[in-house]
Amino acid sequence: MDQLLQHALNATILGGTYALLGIGLTMIFGIMKIVNFTHGELYTFGAYMMFFFVMVLGTNFFLGLVMAIALGLLLGALIELALLRPLRDADIDTTMLVMIGAWIALQNTQQFTWTGIAKSINTPFPLDPLVIGSVSVSWSRVFVFVVAIMMIIGTHMLIHHTRLGKAMRATFQDRDTAALMGVKINRIYTATFALGSGLAAAAGALLAPIFVVYPTMGDAVAAKSFAIVILGGLGNFWGAAIGGFILAFAEEFGAGYISSGYRDAMGFILIILILIFRPTGLFAQRERIG
Amino acid sequence: MLELKDIECRYGKISAVRGLSLEVKEGEFVTLIGANGAGKTTTLKCISGLLPAAKGTITFQGKDISNAPAADILAMGIGHCPEGRRVFPYMSVEENLEMGCYLRKDKDAIHEDMEQLFDRFPVLKERRKQAAGTLSGGEQQMLAISRALMSRPKLVLFDEPSLGLAPNLVDRMFQIVRDIRDQGVTVLMVEQNAYAALELCDHAYVLESGEVTLKGTGSELLENPNVREAYLGT
Ligand SMILES: Nc1ncnc2c1ncn2[C@@H]1O[C@H](COP(=O)(O)OP(=O)(O)OP(=O)(O)O)[C@@H](O)[C@H]1O
Ligand SMILES: [Mg+2]
Repeated sequence: MDQLLQHALNATILGGTYALLGIGLTMIFGIMKIVNFTHGELYTFGAYMMFFFVMVLGTNFFLGLVMAIALGLLLGALIELALLRPLRDADIDTTMLVMIGAWIALQNTQQFTWTGIAKSINTPFPLDPLVIGSVSVSWSRVFVFVVAIMMIIGTHMLIHHTRLGKAMRATFQDRDTAALMGVKINRIYTATFALGSGLAAAAGALLAPIFVVYPTMGDAVAAKSFAIVILGGLGNFWGAAIGGFILAFAEEFGAGYISSGYRDAMGFILIILILIFRPTGLFAQRERIG
Repeated sequence: MLELKDIECRYGKISAVRGLSLEVKEGEFVTLIGANGAGKTTTLKCISGLLPAAKGTITFQGKDISNAPAADILAMGIGHCPEGRRVFPYMSVEENLEMGCYLRKDKDAIHEDMEQLFDRFPVLKERRKQAAGTLSGGEQQMLAISRALMSRPKLVLFDEPSLGLAPNLVDRMFQIVRDIRDQGVTVLMVEQNAYAALELCDHAYVLESGEVTLKGTGSELLENPNVREAYLGT
């Protein structure tokens, strides 16, 4: 029983960052119809920026986190402006190939800049874990979870209660009609890609101090993000959030009760099951980003 | 107020509208009639900047808007109520209206305009929090019209406002368009329902395969034997 609770707690905490990753990717797909192969690299980028600020420059931990996320937003905007905007009317194959190219280029740049040696980041949190009854969790994981949940809520508020968010939803629901309302579609696309990228960078920056940072760390994360998005239904905000938690639970319990070697396979097992039984995703019929 | 000169619109290599010229004077009610695929919707999309004009010029209040972005054209005062209503289905009625005034910043006046529209269409007020996709066809059309008015346009383009509505609602819709014109907004309306459109309008153009084949006042075209045969079935 204690073991079960401990697994559930670990899964919940991991699920928060998975949800961030899933929401970021599903927004970009939903609004722009773009399969973003650079998502995992933005995660890696966020992690390295965290390392850069906290360990290289000695910036305050929390300020470093904010800076890493801000730079993730910026890199997302740059990718959109430099690679996607010129390809606006190109067919999907071309866009996919360019994004795969960007993925490889970004990964190699990070390898070149930071070498292949894994890096770790110190945290300002106490070493003694938080103990609740029979389960315990480190303070740095509590922090990750709280920030992730705040960011999910913040993103939801942005989409539903701001002018930019309304324009994003309108664009998602009917692009031409949104343009007739005066929405500048190009700007919405840049903002969407930047926001989705910022969420991936945030996940990377949050998890970097818990795990270690290395150049190919984004590959498994990209695959997991795709699993989450397929699970939740393409373009579905809450589907992605819930999908993130489902994947975290599947991984945690798969690793805990089947074999720890199965951890990273759980995402793919879930995708296969979903594609067989509910090809549109678990929640595809519900309201999407719109 | 609005003038199209020798406009050509293409989808890829195929031109859907060729050498089209038309004029809408301030305060007028102008209609564009024609069979399916004649190029009516294409013409309206070209005016509001959704489609580039491959050739020709469009001027609005003396300014060239031929290749202006849609947002600028809207800001200059051209509203567009698109074919098939095109409400944002997962947004509430109120949010749809807010999208209609996306470019406006005058909060108080927006609020007033919305209340006025709610007085005019009480059913929209009752359903203000409801997702627009769950409204009936007629309600969606009222919402689409209201949304187009929220930008306070000087000229509104209506694309088949009667499409897919029950006969009693068709008349109501035309009455609404008529009222809008009577309140001083210039109207350019596309319709398949030629008889009603010609009765209501001041001037009309007949479009066939992307070209204007006839023009005149509404009553002239109602008398025209070719029009009677092709569009009025008499
Ligand atoms: N997106 C598009 N891509 C290619 N061809 C198109 C497109 N939209 C319209 N067309 C073609 O352009 C021509 C004019 O279409 P348009 O929609 O303007 O006609 P319409 O007069 O509005 O017809 P309807 O009364 O059926 O609405 C048609 O031959 C149509 O097939
Ligand atoms: Mg049409």
